[in-house]
Amino acid sequence: MSLVSRVSRRLLGLLATLFAASFVIFAAVYAAPGDPAVFLAGGRDKLTPERLATVRAQYHLDEPLVVQYGRWLWDCVHFDLGRSFKYSDQVSDLVAARFPTTLQLVAYATVLFVVLGVGAGVLAAVKRSTWVDSAVVGGTTLAASVPSFVAAIALVSLFGVQLGWFPVTGSGEGFTGTLHHLTLPALSLALGALAIISRVTRQAMADAAASDHVEAARASGVPERDIIRRHVLRNALGPIVTMCGLVTAGMLAGTVVVETAFGISGIGSLLVGAINTHDFPVAQAVLLLMVTGYIVVTTLVDVVHPLLDPRVKGATS
Amino acid sequence: MRTSQRGRHAVAAGLAATALLATASCSGADTAATGGAPADAAKLKLTAETPAAKGHQDKANWLLEDEPDSLDLDTQGSSAGRVVLTNVCERLYQLKPDMTVKPFLAGKARTPDDRTLVLTVRDGVTFHDGSELTADDVLWSLERHADPDMEQADEFGNVRSMKKTGAREITIRFKAPDALFTKALAGDAGIVWNKEQVVAAGKEFGTPGQDDACSGPYTLGSWKSGDSLTIEAYDTYWGTKPLTDRVTFRWASDSALVNALKTGAADGAYAESPNTASALRGAKGIDQYYGPSTASLVLIPTARGGLKDPQIRRALSLAIDRTGIARSGFGGLVQPWATPVGSGAWGYEKQRFAAAQRELDDVAPASPTADDLAEAKRLVKSAGAPTDPVVIGTDSSQGRTVVANAVRAALQRIGLKGQIKTVPTAQFEEFYSDPGARADIDVLVGDWYISKADPMGFYDNGLSDSSNNWVGFKDKAYDKLVHRALGTLDDKRRADLTLDVQRRFSDAAVWIPLAQVPSALVIDDRMTGPPASQSYLYYPWAARLGLKKG
Repeated sequence: MSLVSRVSRRLLGLLATLFAASFVIFAAVYAAPGDPAVFLAGGRDKLTPERLATVRAQYHLDEPLVVQYGRWLWDCVHFDLGRSFKYSDQVSDLVAARFPTTLQLVAYATVLFVVLGVGAGVLAAVKRSTWVDSAVVGGTTLAASVPSFVAAIALVSLFGVQLGWFPVTGSGEGFTGTLHHLTLPALSLALGALAIISRVTRQAMADAAASDHVEAARASGVPERDIIRRHVLRNALGPIVTMCGLVTAGMLAGTVVVETAFGISGIGSLLVGAINTHDFPVAQAVLLLMVTGYIVVTTLVDVVHPLLDPRVKGATS
Repeated sequence: MRTSQRGRHAVAAGLAATALLATASCSGADTAATGGAPADAAKLKLTAETPAAKGHQDKANWLLEDEPDSLDLDTQGSSAGRVVLTNVCERLYQLKPDMTVKPFLAGKARTPDDRTLVLTVRDGVTFHDGSELTADDVLWSLERHADPDMEQADEFGNVRSMKKTGAREITIRFKAPDALFTKALAGDAGIVWNKEQVVAAGKEFGTPGQDDACSGPYTLGSWKSGDSLTIEAYDTYWGTKPLTDRVTFRWASDSALVNALKTGAADGAYAESPNTASALRGAKGIDQYYGPSTASLVLIPTARGGLKDPQIRRALSLAIDRTGIARSGFGGLVQPWATPVGSGAWGYEKQRFAAAQRELDDVAPASPTADDLAEAKRLVKSAGAPTDPVVIGTDSSQGRTVVANAVRAALQRIGLKGQIKTVPTAQFEEFYSDPGARADIDVLVGDWYISKADPMGFYDNGLSDSSNNWVGFKDKAYDKLVHRALGTLDDKRRADLTLDVQRRFSDAAVWIPLAQVPSALVIDDRMTGPPASQSYLYYPWAARLGLKKG
């Protein structure tokens, strides 16, 4: 099968998944306890049954779920995500203003955990069964056992408040400003992933190193450095990339705790605020965006995987 | 229905902050929990003002506890939006730092009779687009506020008609005399918009990227959604020019807010929760000021279970340790209090209200004496000593948890059982608005504030038909007195009536007051100027912000 047809099949699958996910999200947000009309009606002085009925009618909250979903989907495919109940602003504007921050945060965290995690994994694999190996495994396990909010608080109080090296709130301006502001948040996010990635790298490399052609290469006198780079690491890349992709995709949905701790207005804090205030249009849009992000990243990994590993390509065609 | 706007978002958000703050202190941050001793609640000194600023500065960074929902306070009135917009928009009346109210954009105001208010629009005022403020703008703004879909519509319940009766004159006629109307005009119901600009912006008015439509000392500079909001001094302002040219607002909650202030990333904030201020006590480079506010911590009983009986409510009020709550729940930054509104509500006849508050100690003591407890036990006995536990509704924030436990301890002390029901904060909020949500609780650990500096803005909550009278208190004499007070324009006479109303409310313990919650200003110690009282929601506080040294 050609690359084009494989990608287009993936795209179709992606759309179908999105469609299903959008309905589940819509229904879930709709079913959440609490009445958005109470919030929309404004102050409690206005909470008369008549007033609530007017508000429900005005926002089509009195219609059956499927009709509401249809209306929402119709607007969505016309690139209209509606207006926020809480902020009077367009949902698309709200999301567009916050998404880059979250994306930068996740990208930064990804760079950190890939470089540090894969690096540590390679180190552990190369120095297998030495004290370096034990130190890497122990250190990363310790890092992974710290929840990101605890890491966030610890990092803020040490590097932000005590030492004053990094800003403690906001997302910064310009490239260096953003880098400076997002270092601690990205580090808190990346810490948890370090252990997984380094462990997967170490194992994948061990498996690759045990394969016959590596033994053969080693026997024919190829330098150890080349063996590791060309044979071991290359063959181990599949599982490593897959795991990195999955972790990154998961992060897209998991930044809220770190955003809160560092006072960053990203997509995560937008979502939590929207859920707390029954701001349906925003909650739906953000959740859909997160699901889309997840699906896109995992699809990308799927598409890239065979390119890295000829054996997988052979198996699927 | 009459106003008394609830401020649960204000204090509730702050109370929720405590858990994180407590964790932060464990990791080495210098907070009140690890640092200095808690403030002595009884000696907390409240000042409406801070020393006047002398020095000019280019810019200041200010923190809000949340991003404003919208800068159109008619459609979405949140306190974050108000803190910003009060520097940009002006009102027909103005709430001064000492919580008194004076005509403002209405240069003059006359009341030819009890049911007529004639406002003369101030001359020489221009909007930020350079156009002149006219009587048409004023009338149009009032009509917009009065629209039933708008936030302030309830303030206009007594209004019969609003008309332009001269080139610069608006005449408002009332169905019944309304003592609180001019106070409402010092709040959001009195904002004067530039009609042309609001109409042109349409639905987008108040959203990021739009101009303001106001006449205040600052103009809206930029609002980057999700990032920051900047206001800039308006060059041709008709009044005194501000000392600070530019104020940039950012928002953060909980420990992020505390850290930003501690590290100097922000110059100041009005802390909506005493716990934020508490976490910053003794921090280097930060001054703190506490001012009068209308906010209070209260217990709101429901008509379910033992507290339905006024004798049990009175007994609980006598037995509860308010000083203990203030000290262990709030670092001493709230004050044991015997009325359900804070001292910021005393916009007139201050001394008399203060004296009356102290006298109410007999039904709501700061710390119960042996006599109080004996009397409470007698009341419980006379009510037939109910055996069902009293269910106390709370969320898991530190302050509320302390209050809930104090209530349980007080109940135990007088031979009753208490049971704490903890729910998530989002669900907790529904207790206030949804009778179904509070069907399983006997008393709510609540907080409240009113938007007007007049205790009568609160006591309508005790009316027989009020939706906030959960306990079903019905007293014709009380209702009559409340309506009379609300229709009495003379401050002195209204104060007489208010004191009577207040005594009846307290004796019946419709709500049980615990503490008043002062407003707290935390500010870089090189700066000074803005008021410390709750007036910061309605007064252009940033216009007075500046450096201490000239």
